[in-house]
Amino acid sequence: MESRECKIGVYICNCGSNIAKVVDCEAVREYISTLPQVVIVRTYKYMCSNPGQELIIQDIKEQGLERVVVAACSPRMHERTFRAALQTAGLNPYMFEMANIREQCSWVHDDQQAATEKAKALTQAAVRRVAYHEALEQVMVDMCPNTLVIGAGIAGLTAALELADAGQKVYLLDKQDHLGGNLARVDLTAPYLDSARDLLTERITRVRSNDNIELLLNSRLQELKGYVGNFTATLMRVDNDDPEENKAQEIEVGNVIVCTGYKEFPAERVTHFGYGKLPDVITSFDFEKMLRAGRIEGRDGKIPKYVAIIHCVGSRSTEYHGYCSRVCCMTALKYVHEIKSAIPSCYVSDLYIDMHAFGKGHEDFYRRTSEVKTMFLMYGKGDHPIIHSAGPKDDCQMLIEVNEQLSGEVIEIPADLVILMVGMEAREDATETARLVNISQDKDGWFIESHPKLDPVATTTDGIYIAGTCVAPKDIPDTVAQARAAAGRILAKIAKGKITVDAIYAEINEESCSGCRICNELCPYSAIEFDDIKKRSHVISAMCKACGACVATCPSGAIKGRHFTDQQIIAQIEGVLR
Amino acid sequence: MAAKKLQIALYWGAGCGGCDVAVLDTNEFILDVASLADIRLWPIAVDGKYEDVEAMADSELDLTIFNGAVRNSENEHLAKLLRRKSKLLIAFGSCAHMGGIPGLANFTNREEILTRVYLQNPSIEPGNKKIPHPETQVDGQLLHLPHFFKRVYKLADIVPVDYFLPGCPPAPEQVKLSILAIAAGKLPPKGSTIGAAERNVCDDCQRSKSEKKIKRFYRPQEIIQDPEKCLLEQGLVCMGPVTRSGCGVRCPESGLGCRGCYGPAPDVLDQGTKFISALGSIIDSKDPKEIEAIISGLSDLSAILYRFGLPASFLQRSLKS
Amino acid sequence: MSFEPRILGILCNWCSYAGADLAGTSRIHYPPNIRVIRVMCSARVDPTFVVKALVNGADGVLICGCHPGDCHYSEGNYKTMRRIPLLKKVLTDFGVEDERVRLEWISASEGQRFADIVKDMTERIRALGPSRISDELHVDQREK
Repeated sequence: MESRECKIGVYICNCGSNIAKVVDCEAVREYISTLPQVVIVRTYKYMCSNPGQELIIQDIKEQGLERVVVAACSPRMHERTFRAALQTAGLNPYMFEMANIREQCSWVHDDQQAATEKAKALTQAAVRRVAYHEALEQVMVDMCPNTLVIGAGIAGLTAALELADAGQKVYLLDKQDHLGGNLARVDLTAPYLDSARDLLTERITRVRSNDNIELLLNSRLQELKGYVGNFTATLMRVDNDDPEENKAQEIEVGNVIVCTGYKEFPAERVTHFGYGKLPDVITSFDFEKMLRAGRIEGRDGKIPKYVAIIHCVGSRSTEYHGYCSRVCCMTALKYVHEIKSAIPSCYVSDLYIDMHAFGKGHEDFYRRTSEVKTMFLMYGKGDHPIIHSAGPKDDCQMLIEVNEQLSGEVIEIPADLVILMVGMEAREDATETARLVNISQDKDGWFIESHPKLDPVATTTDGIYIAGTCVAPKDIPDTVAQARAAAGRILAKIAKGKITVDAIYAEINEESCSGCRICNELCPYSAIEFDDIKKRSHVISAMCKACGACVATCPSGAIKGRHFTDQQIIAQIEGVLR
Repeated sequence: MAAKKLQIALYWGAGCGGCDVAVLDTNEFILDVASLADIRLWPIAVDGKYEDVEAMADSELDLTIFNGAVRNSENEHLAKLLRRKSKLLIAFGSCAHMGGIPGLANFTNREEILTRVYLQNPSIEPGNKKIPHPETQVDGQLLHLPHFFKRVYKLADIVPVDYFLPGCPPAPEQVKLSILAIAAGKLPPKGSTIGAAERNVCDDCQRSKSEKKIKRFYRPQEIIQDPEKCLLEQGLVCMGPVTRSGCGVRCPESGLGCRGCYGPAPDVLDQGTKFISALGSIIDSKDPKEIEAIISGLSDLSAILYRFGLPASFLQRSLKS
Repeated sequence: MSFEPRILGILCNWCSYAGADLAGTSRIHYPPNIRVIRVMCSARVDPTFVVKALVNGADGVLICGCHPGDCHYSEGNYKTMRRIPLLKKVLTDFGVEDERVRLEWISASEGQRFADIVKDMTERIRALGPSRISDELHVDQREK
């Protein structure tokens, strides 16, 4: 395949020593400079930095570059950055291609010579491909300012209020018949021992009295169609089986925030703690119920003399979930305070693996808790405490054997009540939710954010945001922060008014389309329609998500995948196999 | 002064003669051709010899119509000779265009072919089993036979070709139109395909087309087909979607799935792999086991995909050859 | 000098390419024989690309997409799931060893798995030896 005539500038990033330590950037530079169409090749410390970008901008202006290649990190990191640089210099942002010589080269290979050869091939592939890139124009479409918030727990309530207070319409959806989610089941919060009910009541009252918020309880999302700025959501009631009465409701929204929360780890799975068998082994949520009712007691109605709290039930384990559920340590300390304040003479043991006191006020809270006469016992990961029923001569219901790490001794402690700090896990319907809004879940079922450090509330699907514990276990401050962040992002978009629709979509050339209709049923977004009169198929570009399924299929070669054309991909394949 | 007559040659490489018959099938038109042109070489019809061609000046011929693939050294020799002696060279018919039916030999190899034909064929008289050699001494004379190549080539593999006129055989109407165009000097840029449409068979096929979802493939004798409905939709393999039109859709209209003899549309690089892509897309299943079962209903898939175009495909030949 | 396989990887942006990037950020090492190009969805992978790679000297081709049911575009990988087995069936008739073309589902969190698959495929192709597909493709060095 002959290359197109154009002037290409290539920039090879050292990324400090991240790339340069393994890849001989100078050798790559030398090789690339021998390729046809390449008019300039530079190496630089950090291409993504301002001076790095300036190099490109200047070269575009002074050398008349028509295409740019940057060999550096993954395009998933900085494609956007460099496209913006091109735009600043007056060049169409799509005249750009990246070669991933970091995440997929210098960071994964130790053979320097092989890594350098591979870097040459990857960069050459980008040079070959970019020659076939075309200037693509983005289209601006109107954006609907309404937002759908799925889940009315603390995250959903917060997000809804943030938007509504700014004057925007919100649809607040929840499967349950009440607001507040999991927080409604909690008595006090750690570390300041505030009342959860007060926190929630404040939110709920404001939500109910805000005209911008339309509350949709007992409802679920049935279908979400469209694209960012222009979604149509179909909602159904969950409390009505009658198909006659249970009619779908359709709403138009511009963005969606998913705040579906978590469910607690089922303690019965950890058989060695006897939950469901031993009557006075309960979970943290069972205990919250007691606390809200104002009475701490055993199954027999007696007030416990000894209470034991066991951390990490279902968390930080090779058998159940590997992750830490983040809130349980502070919640356990909260229980210590609540028990001691209700039953001052009660003897409380806290059995933990590590004390995760990471947040604001946490270490202080830990210190204060150790002052109220609590027995802290450290057990080893994988070496869990063993609960026995106590004998008739013992003055307690149960005995717990702990292989205590700090003393190195096996200690037996009495317990009338055992509270299992069950971790958080993804809800069973999380997969269905993910499918409906087109986001991904990680191996633990948590929703995946656009970037774990730099973009924690957006997702890879434009217009869908995630906040709170449905993303990963977290406490109330972090949940509220995420909810407000997601709302803030949406308010910023609403302020802009219009949405840019990606310039990358599929196009059918009517001159080549033979009307075979093989593509018609392929599109999951129903973006392909058939003109019965012209007998040709046509792509509705605003609905096209550019997956390329129809492009690969078209037996006439009539469908062109913008920015992923056959020509571009084949040139890239030829280049990479040099 | 009378206009000089067009000097033309028609030659067959490894072919079946059908393309020459297609030219004759233009009926009375061939007489017009005979009056417009001097046919200097056409082994099936006129008396010209190789030596006559060798004696010509370069580019003395205005046009050579070459059908048949390149299978042996004689085909190669004539291809190169006629290329030198002709201003225009047309690859005529599927064999010259893409390798054609003889091209299927590229699924096997020379040894297997010669063994089968000259040693294992049931009609060989006992005692007569001999594989011919390129050189044989007979009565003190050295006889030469063309050297049988390891595989089949399309014409453009051997010499630069000016135009491609596809079909097995090309439709006589298309032959006529093409010759008229050449005579009038009204031709598209060199390298183009002539005598064929720019779109695929589906465009001209009268059968109704709608949703395509295949749960099972059938061989033509396995079902009573609906004569109005798209064949592919009925599970009958039809290469129409991936084949250029211009043939008059003769096969689908007769109830036979298109076999792809006109080759792929201009933007398609490999007819076979493109059809794999299309077929894969319309198989109606998400279960790997079910998919396997549906695929196994495609008998002789490779031959279906590359019946006429194996030498023209990316792979060109089986590694067996 | 021992044979170093050349493997082309075609990875989908949302799952497998992200998974490969994760192997990078986690510094999980694997052999450098694989060279990756990115598509948005495995459904973009036309079998023509796979064959083109083989004809251009690739000893193996690894196609990766999201796990079935998890495709970012909902159903793209189902098309891949049908096309690649069809292609492999045809490649068998061409005498191409089955292991040269491989389809794997890799999620964005499976960096280790990506590395393991690359290691495994590299070794298998090394054992198979160089592909003969691109040998004598052009008519020049054949018969004589």
